[in-house]
Amino acid sequence: MCGIAGRILNAPGKVGADLVELMDAQEHRGADSTGFAVWGVPRDDGYIVRAIGFDRTRMAADLEDFRAILKQHGSDFIEDPTWDNDRSKHYSVRMIIRDPADMAEWVRAADEICTRLEMQSVGRSLEIIKDTGGAYAVADKHGVRDMIGTHGLGHARLATESDVRPNASHPFWARPFPDVAIVHNGQITDYYTWRNRLTRQGYRFLTYNDSELIAVWVSDRMKQGLSMEQALTRSIDEIDGVFTFMIGTPETIGFAKDRFAMKPLVVVNELGRIAAATEEQAVRRVVLDEDCDIINYDGPCQFGTWGVGNRRAAA
Amino acid sequence: MSETIITVADRPIREVHQEIQAAAQAGGSILIRDARSRHNLGVGLPPGCSVRFEGSVGYYCGGLNTGARIEIERNAGWGCGEAMSDGHVTIGGYAGMSVGAAMLGGTIHVKGDCGPRVGVAMKGGHIVVEGKIGYQSGFMAHGGKIIALGGAGGSCADALWEGEVWVTGDIQDLGVDAVVTEPTAEQVAEVDAILDPLGLKDTSRDWRRIVAGKRLWYFESRDAKAWLMI
Repeated sequence: MCGIAGRILNAPGKVGADLVELMDAQEHRGADSTGFAVWGVPRDDGYIVRAIGFDRTRMAADLEDFRAILKQHGSDFIEDPTWDNDRSKHYSVRMIIRDPADMAEWVRAADEICTRLEMQSVGRSLEIIKDTGGAYAVADKHGVRDMIGTHGLGHARLATESDVRPNASHPFWARPFPDVAIVHNGQITDYYTWRNRLTRQGYRFLTYNDSELIAVWVSDRMKQGLSMEQALTRSIDEIDGVFTFMIGTPETIGFAKDRFAMKPLVVVNELGRIAAATEEQAVRRVVLDEDCDIINYDGPCQFGTWGVGNRRAAA
Repeated sequence: MSETIITVADRPIREVHQEIQAAAQAGGSILIRDARSRHNLGVGLPPGCSVRFEGSVGYYCGGLNTGARIEIERNAGWGCGEAMSDGHVTIGGYAGMSVGAAMLGGTIHVKGDCGPRVGVAMKGGHIVVEGKIGYQSGFMAHGGKIIALGGAGGSCADALWEGEVWVTGDIQDLGVDAVVTEPTAEQVAEVDAILDPLGLKDTSRDWRRIVAGKRLWYFESRDAKAWLMI
């Protein structure tokens, strides 16, 4: 089933706190795991890396090896990495790195140790936090409510086609495109066809989750020169399945819906402040005016984009 | 008779439901406040009560209704009036996906537009929509009537069984095995009799009555392409 959410503020603010509420209201749609993608105030240089390690007892060695790969690609930590202090076997780590000489090449090299330490997001502003458990549990563990940014995505997962693991949760980063992430409610039925095609083009998938595929699919089309709207239109024609997904970049959040109109999307647009979610009761947690106009994107083959305004100045 | 007022807000839905049921069994008139688009409100209401919701409701409101009068001020989410067997549901605004799904009897009156699959698999009763009905409306309806006064979206009346879809206004396109017929005067009078108590009767309307072409009632290999369209 799954529940998804998107939020855009008029200026940097507590977008993390809003996403937590949007997802708590939809926890009944999927309590396996919850995830958040937040686009913060962008850095001028250097990237923020969010990663999940699978064995806390080996964290020091993992980070050392990760750093060695960074150095081979002309990069290094700018600040000391930070991590969660939970007792779980897996750990979540946040790193700030210098620009690697070649992003795609470095990502490919860093993914050589992905069975120990798997990158969840890389971006000047994007940070993806995801874990097993409900919205409040994940928010408490990872400090999501304190995350400041302009826009973000949220996801509550009911796993139907692949594992329940922290790293198989949404949102998915469009590996290796910095700052692009996706959340998805649905199933892609020609998943292997597209996965094989994209793999032959050189893309790498770390899970068997169909949502990871859409993120790369749309980003690849945009790399070929399509606008986001054009890529979203194509996705409706070319990808089989029932889906509603939202994709975020530093400037935009876009959505697309399949031709069968199975997965809902409810949106409130308060003069550019956007709240989007699978269910209306979720957007009501964050909108200011309870008499606001609710837009129901219930029909088939729908798509759209919302721009992000002022990314740096305070409100 | 005095009106019972029940506030939903962020209270546990089970507790709210028990209060609504207790008031409904007493047969009174009930006003529900601050519903916040929450799900499963007013499910399984008995005959003889009247329930009014302020604002919008979430999924499955008024489902399994056996005779209550239900009024929703603004919008309803998915499956409003699902599997109801009797009673009357009025939705002041927009009705989400699958309003009146699998309903057996009674009337649903939507003042705005509807989402996809209005009356999916309905077995009886009437759904009257003043606005436009969404994609694939009447999908596999076994019985009953869907009456749309503001046109229909794509794939209208797809794979209809014995239900009927009546439309005035534009139809984007017809679904598989949907056939438009010219209604007889008697059939129009029947529909007007449904619209009259709602104050919507208008004898000047140009109706299209859509029924099953019955091609999908039995599988024929030469019709395989039509089946693949579903």
